[in-house]
Parts: sequence; structure tokens; C-alpha cells
Amino acid sequence: MRTWLDRLYEAAGWLAAVFMIGTLVFVLLGIFGRIFGFHVRGTDAYAGYCMAASGFLALAYTLRRNEHIRVTLLLGHVPPAARKALEIWCHAIAIALAAILAFYSTRLAWQSHTFNDISTANDATPLWIPQLAMAFGTAILLVAFVDAFVAVLRDGGKPSAGEEPARIE
Amino acid sequence: MSDFAITTLLIAALFLLLGTGVWIGLALIGVAFIGMELFTTRPVGDAMAVTIWGSSSSWTLTALPLFVWMGEILFRTRLSEDMFRGLAPWMERLPGRLLHTNIIGCAIFAAVSGSSAATCATIGKMTLPELAARGYPDEKVIGTLAGAGTLGLLIPPSIILIVYGVTAEVSIARLFIAGVLPGILLAGLFMGYVIVWALLNPGAVPAPTERTTFAQKLYASRNLIPVLVLILLVLGSIYTGIATATEAAAFGVVGSLVISAAQRSLTWETFRTSLLGATRLYCMIALILAGASFLTLAMGYIGLPRHLAEWIGTLGLTQFWLLMALMVFFIILGCFLDGISMVVLTMGVILPTVQKAGIDLIWFGIFVVLVVEMAQITPPVGFNLFVLQGMTKRQITWIAKQTLPMFYLMIVAILLTYYFPGLVTWLPQQMMSK
Repeated sequence: MRTWLDRLYEAAGWLAAVFMIGTLVFVLLGIFGRIFGFHVRGTDAYAGYCMAASGFLALAYTLRRNEHIRVTLLLGHVPPAARKALEIWCHAIAIALAAILAFYSTRLAWQSHTFNDISTANDATPLWIPQLAMAFGTAILLVAFVDAFVAVLRDGGKPSAGEEPARIE
Repeated sequence: MSDFAITTLLIAALFLLLGTGVWIGLALIGVAFIGMELFTTRPVGDAMAVTIWGSSSSWTLTALPLFVWMGEILFRTRLSEDMFRGLAPWMERLPGRLLHTNIIGCAIFAAVSGSSAATCATIGKMTLPELAARGYPDEKVIGTLAGAGTLGLLIPPSIILIVYGVTAEVSIARLFIAGVLPGILLAGLFMGYVIVWALLNPGAVPAPTERTTFAQKLYASRNLIPVLVLILLVLGSIYTGIATATEAAAFGVVGSLVISAAQRSLTWETFRTSLLGATRLYCMIALILAGASFLTLAMGYIGLPRHLAEWIGTLGLTQFWLLMALMVFFIILGCFLDGISMVVLTMGVILPTVQKAGIDLIWFGIFVVLVVEMAQITPPVGFNLFVLQGMTKRQITWIAKQTLPMFYLMIVAILLTYYFPGLVTWLPQQMMSK
């Protein structure tokens, strides 16, 4: 179970990274199209979709690496029992909000699909396709918060093992 | 329910969620959700999803992840060392020494970046580890970085100036040109502060590592060539009109990869870590942006910023006191909202008042940017603070405290541009006279 969940977050993270490259590629495509006189329709919009997909799909992966920002002033200065209670409160709220996000994101993609919502820009993309990334990303975030909640209940919410040195290295 | 009660309730909810450690992006979403659910009849969840989707996928934002990625790539090259080898010899004689590399670095990068957070992140990637390794006091390193990072908004290109220009129907090119001198002025003020601080606290700054002759300094400057080429590539493409900010950011990513390859520091490992690092850093910012966009929507529906602005409009103040009142208002609002949302929400209401008071709209644009810069470094919602918290793992309140002197200097800059409006208006007028 543990391995599978971690693989899910990692896979979504990698997919997010691929979409980051996608953002770059579509922006470059737009530039080269203009310079060399070929036209690819809707590169601006595609770059935006890729960026959104990158941001949403990386949500759980970033959470797992403990890189989503929170005010830890109080958390860091209370005894372990209070810390556990606080962590339960935080995770409960996060689960509720992530659930709301996931539900309405899925609903948005579903409604776009049902009403055949098309992008108003010149890419004319059916919007449910890029919105799927938002639905999946927020759903995986919900899974990750439930996962973290269970860990808090089990061991009182020690800082997660995935503390990432990259940003401060 | 009265405005006052609504404001109090929402601010209390925000502080409760943020204070107890709820992830900031989610806390913003939570407060917005409560606010909209209680005080509007609109279907909240659907409005939330549409707003977050819209802001998360907007073309104008694509410059952000690309500049973040560019920073991550540059961080993993030897460019930071090179930049320090090039800049450091020139700074060693100045009181405060290498702290100035923070300010000059930010000022230089601001000329290729439209975002304060990206400037802060990119320069911080270079200077935080370098200055820490040299034994500089953390509080000054982080304080000057958070402050100087805001130059990213003032020195063109600037996303916030584009937003303002569109809202106020003012020429964006003139706004850009107007930002140049105040940007240099502010950088000068920051450097002046570091110099005075260093003179008052001898020994707080580590001793210079070595003495160099002028020829050696000049020779060391060759290390700056890759940075300058990259700046020319990014800046040049914007100024000649070849590329938008996003496209320039894409050039920047490619240029950084080329520099990285030329230095033989581009391996699969550095490419992978820079890509994943950028993805996570962008994701962290994206969650906050998503929350801010929804909170902005909610506040717009409840009418809070509008009511506050209207109330200030009724006070019948003189030009100076109107501006001071607006400054205080924006600083307070900036504690809770990001700059772009603040500008988008309030300009429609404030601009008629401003015009009636006889304030030049170009000048007012620069004023707004300076105030938004302050908002970037005021807790609990200040993007430079978020970025630096992510990078240093320090407390946001601690970072804000170290940045306070820069905050005061920005007020000084506003007063200077008020008493010497030519600082803002002279360059654009030169442009017009052509």
C-alpha cells in the first residue's frame, strides 16, 4: 500500500514535470512559428493548459515532499500532544477542502464535457480534456492528505521523511 | 450583516486557519468558501472551480513557471559561482560587501523578470547558499533579498505594470520606461541602507577574503559574460519587441540550458533535479495563486475591497493625504491579498477619485507598484515571504521582521517620487518628445 501510494505521487509528479516541458515546448513552438512562418493553432492556450496540468498534478507530490507552505510558528512551539491535536485539525480541514476542490474540479470537467464547452481562444479545445488534469491532480491531493492524516493518527505527525534538501542545498 | 462584521469574521477565520498551520493556499480557499457561502447566493463550488481553472491556465501566468525553471537550471550551473567571482571583487570595498550582490543581483535580474517572487527565488538560489557559506549574517542576507526581490515588479518588464496599464488604459511602454529610474532609486536606497548598517556595525560583515588590483577585478569580470549574454538574450528580446515576457522566459530556459551544457554541468541528474525542483516550487506557488484567485473572487462578490475604497473616496482628502490614505489602505489589503488581485480589484473604483484629484496616471501606476512591492513583504500573505520561507524553511514572521527596514525604504521611495515626480515622469516624457 505504502509503496503504491508513493508510486502514485511520484508518477503524478513526473507527469507534472513532463507538462512543465510541454509549457516550454508550446511557447517555443509559438515563437518559431512566427519566425519561420508556419502557424500552429492555439500554442498560447496549450501552454496555459500544460502549465495548469503541471501545477495540479504536482500537488500531492509536492505535499509528500513537505514543500507546500504553511505557518508553522505555533506547530513548532507546542508540546507533542498539542501538536498532534493541531495536526489532526489541520489535516481534517485540508481533507475537507481538498475534497471540495476535487469534487468541484471533477464536476467542472464533467460539465464541460456534457455541455461540450469549447475554448473561446483559437485553439477550440474541448475544455474537459485539459480540465481532467485539475480533476486528477486535486483527487490525488485528497488521497495524499488522507494518507498523511492516517500517518498523523499513527505517529503523532512527526515531520515527514521526505524533507527535501533541494531548495536549501 | 454589516461590512464591519463581515470583515472581522473573515479576517478572524483567515488568521485562525493560517495561524494553526493550515496550508496557506488551502486556507485562502477555505476563507473564500466561507465568505461566499455566507454572504452571496452564487453557487460557490462551481464559481470556485471555474475561477481556479481560469487563473491556473492563463497564458500571462506561463512566464512564472518558466522563470522558476530558468532559476532552477541556473542554480545547478556554475553560474552562481561565476557571478560571485565577477561581482564580489567590486563589492569588497563597499561597506556591507557581498550583501550588495543581493541587491545588484536582484536589480539585474529584475530587468529580465516581471515577477517579484521569481526574482527573489532566482537570485536567492544564487545568493542564499553563497553568502551563508561566506558567513554573512542570515537576517541581513534574507532581509535584503526579500526587499530587493521586489525590484522585479518595478524594473521592467513587470507583470503588475501590464495589469495596471490595461486596467487604467495607460501606455504599457511608457509605464515600463517610467519604472526604470524609481527602480534604480530604490536599489540605491537599499544599498545605502546596507552601507550605513555596515558602518554602524563593524565586524558584523565577514572580512574580505582577498585584496585585488583593478586589473584583477576587470579580469574577474569575465565571469559575468555568460550572465550578461543571458540578460541580453532575455531583455533584448523583450525590448526589441521580438518576444513577450513568456517567450523571453522560454528563451531564458533554453539559454540557461545552453550555458549549463557549455559549462559541462548539464547532466541527466542536474536536468532531472532542476525540472522536478521547478515543478514543485511552481506547484507550491500555484496552490497559493489558486487560493488567492478564489479569495479575490469571493471578496469581489462580497464587495469588501470596493466598500473600503468607496469609504476612502468619501473622506475628501487633499492629494497628499489621499495618497497616504491609499498607501495605508493598500498596505493593509496587501497583508491579505497578492498584488495583481489587489490592483485588479481596486483600480476600477479608485482611478476616478485619483484622476479627479489631478494625479498623473503614469505616476500613479508607479506609486501602485511601489505599494504592491510592500505588499509582497507584509505577512501573512506576501509572496516574497512565501518564496523565502520555502527556500530557507524559516518562519514567515521572522523573515518579515528582517525585511522591515526595506519596507520603510519603500515608503521613503514613495515620498521621494511624490516630492520629485520627475523621477517617474521625466523618462517617459523624453520618449514622447521624440
